[in-house]
Amino acid sequence: MAVRVNMSVKGKEYPPFAVTVERGKIKEFARAIGDLSPFYLDDSVGRASAWGDIIAPPTFPVTFRHEAASSETLLSDLGVDISRLLHGEQEFEHFKPIRPGETYLVRTRVTDIYEKTGKSGPMAFVVRESTVTDGDNDIVTVIRHITVVRL
Amino acid sequence: MKYATVYFEDVEVGHEMPPLVKGPIQQIQLTRYAGASGDFNPIHQDAAFAKAAGMGDVFAHGMLSMGFVAQSVTDWLGVGAVRRIGVRFAALVRLGDVVTCRGKVVGKRPAKEGGQGLDLVDLEIWAENQKGEKVVTGRATVALVSRW
Repeated sequence: MAVRVNMSVKGKEYPPFAVTVERGKIKEFARAIGDLSPFYLDDSVGRASAWGDIIAPPTFPVTFRHEAASSETLLSDLGVDISRLLHGEQEFEHFKPIRPGETYLVRTRVTDIYEKTGKSGPMAFVVRESTVTDGDNDIVTVIRHITVVRL
Repeated sequence: MKYATVYFEDVEVGHEMPPLVKGPIQQIQLTRYAGASGDFNPIHQDAAFAKAAGMGDVFAHGMLSMGFVAQSVTDWLGVGAVRRIGVRFAALVRLGDVVTCRGKVVGKRPAKEGGQGLDLVDLEIWAENQKGEKVVTGRATVALVSRW
């Protein structure tokens, strides 16, 4: 039975959510990747650095999640099951370092949905963009995310 | 030396990144990454679920491989230097796979005269499995400090 995605999700904006970065979460994330740089893990190295504290690894914003703007919400909007999902592409554009104790605002929008047939069959590509801003309302990171739905 | 400062003048187009070898991938690392990242898709944890979904067996989070690739760049050119990193997930990483991250310099964009802007280096980056198949392909842009 062919799977269809709800194309009307294109353009949808999810409610903005705030996230406060925890020091321990940065360390847990770096260790899960096996990246043991002291700039992520050692508070004294962080204090002596140009940033005055530890900072987060480049892919850390993937931890910025909220139930109202989650993959589960996207799945129910699209009308598809989690077992059909693959991660297609991911990009982070960084303007400022992500620091422990800071609170960030995350705004996510579905910028495009298109269908294509690849060598493993028909697929839908769902493009999301999230903008992460800090307390000064500066853009810290822009995240671009392509989810593939096996149809 | 790992974590040494690399200056803008130290890299040239064609220079290759020191390879970073990760793995073999074990289930415990996928479980740990799920907890750290918040991605609890059972397709990375539960072999029966992955099989029923037509994927044969569990496979690694794409974002774990991207984390490896990002580490290969920051190990070489410095933590905090990455301005942009973008990848495509080209093939699945399976349990037992050894992932080698590689890259090379494809462009240099000096800051404008008078110190405006950043000295940027563009990299082609990729990761391959033990069979030499590319599992991740992408690009990164890194800002480096100048010696002058």
